[in-house]
Amino acid sequence: MSKKNLCTPLSSLLRRCLTSIPQHFTSHSSPHIKLSILHRVSPHHRPPHDPNFDFYCSLGFSWKNLCSKSAEEIQLGCWNCHALPHSAPFLVCDSCRCIQPVDGSTDYFQIFGVERKYDQEGENLEGKYKEWQKKLHPDLVHSKSKKERDFAAEQSARVIDAYRTLSKPLSRGIYLLKLNGVEIDEEQTISDPELLAEIMEIRETVEEATDSEALNLILSQMQEKLQNWSNTFGHAFQNRNFEEAKLAIRRMTYYSRVIDEVGKKL
Amino acid sequence: MLRVGTKRVLGTTSLGVRVPARLYHERVVDHYDNPRNVGSFDKNDPSVGTGLVGAPACGDVMKLQIKVDDKTGKIVDARFKTFGCGSAIASSSVATEWVKGKQMEEVLSIKNTEIAKHLSLPPVKLHCSMLAEDAIKAAVKDYEAKRAKATASGEAATEEKLATA
Repeated sequence: MSKKNLCTPLSSLLRRCLTSIPQHFTSHSSPHIKLSILHRVSPHHRPPHDPNFDFYCSLGFSWKNLCSKSAEEIQLGCWNCHALPHSAPFLVCDSCRCIQPVDGSTDYFQIFGVERKYDQEGENLEGKYKEWQKKLHPDLVHSKSKKERDFAAEQSARVIDAYRTLSKPLSRGIYLLKLNGVEIDEEQTISDPELLAEIMEIRETVEEATDSEALNLILSQMQEKLQNWSNTFGHAFQNRNFEEAKLAIRRMTYYSRVIDEVGKKL
Repeated sequence: MLRVGTKRVLGTTSLGVRVPARLYHERVVDHYDNPRNVGSFDKNDPSVGTGLVGAPACGDVMKLQIKVDDKTGKIVDARFKTFGCGSAIASSSVATEWVKGKQMEEVLSIKNTEIAKHLSLPPVKLHCSMLAEDAIKAAVKDYEAKRAKATASGEAATEEKLATA
């Protein structure tokens, strides 16, 4: 039986076995009820004489399966009013508007409600970023409790990180690789003669350039190369060819660096 | 107002404890302000070995060249060109200073940890000294490869001469 199938009959089961539970719990069947009943019997200890527990056991499904969903629900509920979120990601409570603690398992793509892919053309990341900051900014909570002020600081910092990472192709690419368990080695040294000689020459030209026209020419050349390698990365990543993707990232890093240096001179 | 200003300048916390600001070590600053041996040799010169290495994670590129006395195998001069952070520039500058006057086999034992210690590099910049160590090795390797090629073609030319004579 899949977990999903377990959930629907569970609600009817709960209603049926509510006779053994104190009267005030039976008055309505909102999500709060499920939480409070199952919360009484936590997954961390076996309540030996609880009639509900024996009932569930007799039905033949493991306690862990039963409680894993409810444990998630409890964690997902607002720390302030215990309301469940209407949708992911859960950064701010829809009911009481309290800012929630950072959930590390929510990745940057989920924060912006976009697909986890390299091509983000057309996605209004900046607009979504501003919308989040309207709800999360620490200035909004300066008169609230320390707990909430800390949550606001962490949550808005995370959204800033997410925006910075996703808005540039290079950092977005590196992040996507990371999500797929592919890390760029910070300490690696290479001796690729072709690439290094090319970069050396370009950097020397930038260093010696005196007029902005020459610099702008180099800038546009570098931006073109960056775009080409960005496309290469996109294809490699889509085909899950991570080695080629890493090589593309390497090129993109070098060209981005040149672009930064030219920018400093202009 | 003045007290707050003074505190900031002296780098003290509100408890009056002196907190050292994060700085480059004075040796790194010295190499950056007064770089030694910046420049290039002609890479086609048979007595020159060129080491070209890079750190792709940060986009650094480092070129270290040695001029070798063919008869003695001693490194008589060195040059470097590095595009990277202050620590990378200082590491390669130190490397050119240390290889001068040494035998080629000797410089292969120069360790990145020695360079890092000399410059008091923080852990996050250790890979810059590694880059310099790799550049030295690459320069020696390049020189030796050139020599082997020259010797081989030299032998072939001599054989040809003997054959036609």
